[in-house]
Amino acid sequence: MTVINVTLPFGLIKKVDDYSKIINVILEQHISVNILKFSTGRSGINLLLDIPEDKINSITEALKKNDIIVNKKGRVIIDIDLCIDCGACVSLCPTDALHMDEKGLLEYSLERCLGCGLCIDACPRSAIEET
Amino acid sequence: MTKTYSEINEKIRNGNVVVLTAEEMIDFVDEHGVKVAADEIDVVTTGTFGPMCSSGAFLNFGNTDPPIKFEHLWLNDVHAYHGNAAVDCYIGCTRMADISPFEYGGGHVIEDLVSGKPIRLKGNSYTTDCYPLAEVDTEFTIDDINQAILCNPRNGYQRYVCAVNSSEKTIYTYMGKLLPNFGNAHYAGAGSLSPLSNDPDYETIGLGTRIFLGGGIGYVIGEGTQHSPSNRFGTLFLKGNLKQMTPEYLRGVTYEKYGTSMFVGVGIPIPILNEGLAKKTAISDENLLTDVVDYGVPRRDRPKLRQVTYKELKSGSIELNGKKIKCSSLSSLFHSRKIAETLKNWILNGNFLLNPPAETLPTDTIFKTMKLTSELKFVKDLKKDAEICYEDCDVKIVAEKIVRKNTNHIVIIDREHTLKGIVTSFDITKAIAEDKHELNEIITKRVFTTKDNEPISNAARKMKINKISALPVIDDERKVVGIITSEELM
Ligand code: SF4
Ligand code: SF4
Repeated sequence: MTVINVTLPFGLIKKVDDYSKIINVILEQHISVNILKFSTGRSGINLLLDIPEDKINSITEALKKNDIIVNKKGRVIIDIDLCIDCGACVSLCPTDALHMDEKGLLEYSLERCLGCGLCIDACPRSAIEET
Repeated sequence: MTKTYSEINEKIRNGNVVVLTAEEMIDFVDEHGVKVAADEIDVVTTGTFGPMCSSGAFLNFGNTDPPIKFEHLWLNDVHAYHGNAAVDCYIGCTRMADISPFEYGGGHVIEDLVSGKPIRLKGNSYTTDCYPLAEVDTEFTIDDINQAILCNPRNGYQRYVCAVNSSEKTIYTYMGKLLPNFGNAHYAGAGSLSPLSNDPDYETIGLGTRIFLGGGIGYVIGEGTQHSPSNRFGTLFLKGNLKQMTPEYLRGVTYEKYGTSMFVGVGIPIPILNEGLAKKTAISDENLLTDVVDYGVPRRDRPKLRQVTYKELKSGSIELNGKKIKCSSLSSLFHSRKIAETLKNWILNGNFLLNPPAETLPTDTIFKTMKLTSELKFVKDLKKDAEICYEDCDVKIVAEKIVRKNTNHIVIIDREHTLKGIVTSFDITKAIAEDKHELNEIITKRVFTTKDNEPISNAARKMKINKISALPVIDDERKVVGIITSEELM
């Protein structure tokens, strides 16, 4: 699964039913989806969606065809020379992009990172940077 | 069967000592039982690597010509404590740099020192007949100074609590960044690998115990400050020669909006002198309990919400009020394991002998809280009655009340007395200027509040941080029971 961040612009919302537009577009692809976060942004309704990795292109296309904005993915980088594998960032990450492996070493998966930035000021070694 | 320290040391010298890490010991006892373990295993090694605020180092620089007696001195702009002889000092890890606080502190100075980096020393003196020099500004490395002694009054907590936050805003604590409404959880300590968890009755750990400290050799020099054995919060006082240590196990850290600290690596060998110790060192994470504590309440006695095992903590999430919340550690399990492993190898290679403590740690000290000679005041002691208006009333009525009661704040409530918002005299002025008549248009709905039992200093901090001059006092049902304004605080 991979995470995408999409926005339904306010301009597209005329009646209550329109709120489900994003979900309908995805459901038409006959796949399952997890909604990780639902929030009201400055320009529209924001959704964080967990979708199957192999469907990312077809879903992105379908969303764009319906004027739904697929946001560019943000990301962070971890300076492994500074990181001491403490784990203080892990509990902040909403998508498990940051997690500990079997041995207790920090693992970061770029595909899952939303660039939400929640982890950045949680790191006591200033090892996480926004790109 | 029982063993003595000298029998174990003999085996270390002969190269036939059997050593396991505390994690390996769990499996061994599981498989072979306590009796066999007591016979076959000689030493169990433990390890922990986490933030330990009560850490620092004594340094001695040697003297200048003409000599100086420091009154104040700074290492890389971090104020070091000088209250001893002329050129001795203590650099503590939580002291922050004057120039870049919250970025660099005493812990970073120690890390840089151990890394061999040059450190800037600035100092001044009131001068005496025997110490005439008034100022020093120089650079030194660890090799240039006489002594560099790591000396930590409180390390290696037996266990520590798991922190969560019930409040409505993100808080930044020494337990890391805690998201609102129980959004995440943090714990500290290495659980079954942690030194004092493996010798909970302090049978082998005491004054003089030789240990792994910061990558070098150190010693336990007594119980740590706030040592509280009766509720299993034992602590250790440690010292060691900084000159032998490595930066891998001494790391300066800075917690956002809290301040600086230092990660310290500690590993303690536990001799398996008898079956009792074999059993105790086989303790697993399932059997180590700690409390989940609400850091959203800024008091000394924070509410304990439930008990949790280190096994659950290490699983990545804990359950709270029927909900799963993400949980992660503040100490490094990877490095804790590496410490236990390194210490094991030192012993196996014959480089590290065990010694019996000259004195074991006390098992009966009581943890006291600070005696306060001036009484702590609470919101309920200073609050006054709030001037109130109902949410459906006219702006004019609110304005009249402000004038009649000679007040700056009107608290807006509904018919059940529940807090709905606040209106200040400034809001009224603004309403007139902008020609607004509806209360709804001028009311501040997101109101910072306080409660009866909140200490006044907390309420004052809330006002200061948020640049506001009053806080409505509410009860648990958000019903208004008073108001506290900056006037009462002055
Ligand atoms: S920015 Fe940090 S917290 Fe947010 S998704 Fe990426 S790794 Fe996770
Ligand atoms: S909080 Fe910083 S130092 Fe700790 S594991 Fe995360 S990136 Fe590494």
